Amino acid sequence: MAISVFPNSAPRIILSLTLFGAILFACAYSLAQETSAQFNDLASRAAAARDQQNVPLAIQLYTQAEQLNPGWQEGWWYLGILQYGSNQYDGAIDAFTHLLQLVPTAAPAMALRGLCEFETGAYAESLRDLEQAVSHGAANEPRNEQITRYHLALLLTHAGRFPDALAQYRALAALHADAPDLMQGIALAGMRMASFPKDIAAEDRNLYEAAGRAGYVFLSGDNEQADALFGKLFASYPKTAGLHFYYGYLLYPHDPKMSGDQFRDELEIRPDGETDALLALTLIYEGHFAEALRPAQAAYAANPDLEMAQVAMGRALAETGDMKRGAELLHQAADHNPNDLEAHLGLASIYSRSGDREEEARERKICRDLAR
Amino acid sequence: MSAKFAAISRGSRRALATVGIAIGFSALPWIPPGSPLALAKQHEQPQTAPTCATCHAGVANSFKSAPMRHAMEPDGANPLLMAHPDITAQLGAYTYGVQTRDGHSTYTVSDGRDTLTLPIHWIFGQHTQTWVLEKDGHYYESLVSFFPRENTLATTPGDQGITPHTLEQAMGRKLLIWETRVCFDCHASGVGDKLDTAKITPGLECEHCHNGAQEHMVDAANDNFKTLPKSLKHLDAEQISNFCGQCHRTFDNVMRNRWHGPAFVRFQPYRIELSKCFVGNDPRISCLACHNPHQQLNHSAAYYDSKCLACHGEAKVASGTAAGPGSVAKICPVAKANCTSCHMPKIELPGGHAQFTDHFIRVVKPGEAYPE
Repeated sequence: MAISVFPNSAPRIILSLTLFGAILFACAYSLAQETSAQFNDLASRAAAARDQQNVPLAIQLYTQAEQLNPGWQEGWWYLGILQYGSNQYDGAIDAFTHLLQLVPTAAPAMALRGLCEFETGAYAESLRDLEQAVSHGAANEPRNEQITRYHLALLLTHAGRFPDALAQYRALAALHADAPDLMQGIALAGMRMASFPKDIAAEDRNLYEAAGRAGYVFLSGDNEQADALFGKLFASYPKTAGLHFYYGYLLYPHDPKMSGDQFRDELEIRPDGETDALLALTLIYEGHFAEALRPAQAAYAANPDLEMAQVAMGRALAETGDMKRGAELLHQAADHNPNDLEAHLGLASIYSRSGDREEEARERKICRDLAR
Repeated sequence: MSAKFAAISRGSRRALATVGIAIGFSALPWIPPGSPLALAKQHEQPQTAPTCATCHAGVANSFKSAPMRHAMEPDGANPLLMAHPDITAQLGAYTYGVQTRDGHSTYTVSDGRDTLTLPIHWIFGQHTQTWVLEKDGHYYESLVSFFPRENTLATTPGDQGITPHTLEQAMGRKLLIWETRVCFDCHASGVGDKLDTAKITPGLECEHCHNGAQEHMVDAANDNFKTLPKSLKHLDAEQISNFCGQCHRTFDNVMRNRWHGPAFVRFQPYRIELSKCFVGNDPRISCLACHNPHQQLNHSAAYYDSKCLACHGEAKVASGTAAGPGSVAKICPVAKANCTSCHMPKIELPGGHAQFTDHFIRVVKPGEAYPE
């Protein structure tokens, strides 16, 4: 603005600025040279200390080096790693946070920060980091896969996201990972207990280990042995809630008949809306729509907002005569979750039976797209 | 004969005698032909237990030669293998042989050093045959099947991706517990909740589709006709598709399992529901419009022309009765006969050796990819 008001002074101002800039650059260059030498010295000493397993000194030197050059990614990485390895989780979280500010998609740093947060009890943050890390490929590295997935599975269970937890345990079973804590973790997810293995009461440990072992064998692919182990478990703990649901849920993607039998047994021990919804869906998969109506109604009465209950109730009603109400419920579920394949399958059936070719074709196309 | 039925028969004969005395023997022709009463009179002393054929002789007799009745051939009565008593094939490093002597077949696989031979008890399919084998209490799907088009043994459809590393793997694919039950349940009768191969009857019996037929038969023999099998007459095209699809697989099954590719062309209810002309409230496109499940399959393309022309015939189109609301059935500009030969092409199964008629009715464009 000053330049336009005082046009004659402009050349002088430009000259002054140029001179000032040159002086500043010279000073900065000199300082940078000095700082650079100091930084290089610290960095090499930090690396040497790390090589010599002198962790406290390495941490100290990396910290000093980062103070001089906070953009040094390698320094933050080693600072984080060294502190994580020596149980200094808060410092490690800080180091990985700096690194992630520089490289937001650094999956290993994300995973390690998540593991540190787990140790400090910051479970929500830990879950967020580990989940993102896995989605960015942290579990693709075989050395890190087990620890990352195991902790993610524990956190998913703790957060009540049991199906997601079981998906992680399935991946661990494929790696042939095997440990008592792992077994207990699988059982917690399967029996839908939002806790950690450390929270299991001493008197219940045998139950959870046996239940986890049966689930682990199933997830490993040996369904015959798993069936035998679950059979023994049911005989030993005939009144324990959650066990039949657990086996039924594992069977659910494979065989509606066998899983439906387990859900029925579970309902005799403990009435539960979700179990009713799953039982109704297994009957729908088998084409037993009239039989599905009762558990669907029970599930919907227990929790009308449960998507599974809406779908089960909608499909069962539509297939047994009440297409209008059935369509309403299925639309409700599909509006809430456009990727709900079951809702769209139900709608396709309704439009087909009512002769609405256009809507039928539209719904079938959605189904085909979702199934790709 | 069971004691219960013996008593029923005696009762019926007593009733018959009473009727004869009261109104004279000229009343006998009024007894419905084929009824238990009529048969009791004809044979005087019925020695056999009632069957569905006792009353429904025509349809029961026709069903004897229907494909579903032969979904599994009984051990010792396999005309296909009896006609080809020595079949051998070399697949990769393994030699396979199926030998039939005195009606009984054995399945042999050898790697040149060791040989494994098992009896064939369960013969799946009337034409292309796959065998379920039992070894050490486990069930296996034979890795090779017999393809009558070429009179050869070749890899079982769906197993092309398997590379066996052991003799046992070369023998067959170990079936999952639910797979075994599902396989037998669609190819045999009397499977129930738990598979017991000693109790099953190869092929489908009436009860398989007509749920309640057994109870009806027992009650009818006691002159009680109130318990009837659930009627299938009122099912619409969508419901029939789902009913047949319990074994032949529905659109829903294929979507849920995310099955893709020509291997699944054999699931006709799924394929037909992709057709533009399929709508669930039009009986002219139901499975039963073209197929009578109680009869042999008609392989003549000309036989199906009248079914297509029920909608696409000139008179139908002109009178506006060709199709339901929202759709206009067109008249084929190319031909008036052998519709299925163009609009329902035969698709070669992966691996070759067998073809299936694609029930996705459509205008097939030259060189087009298999549509899904």
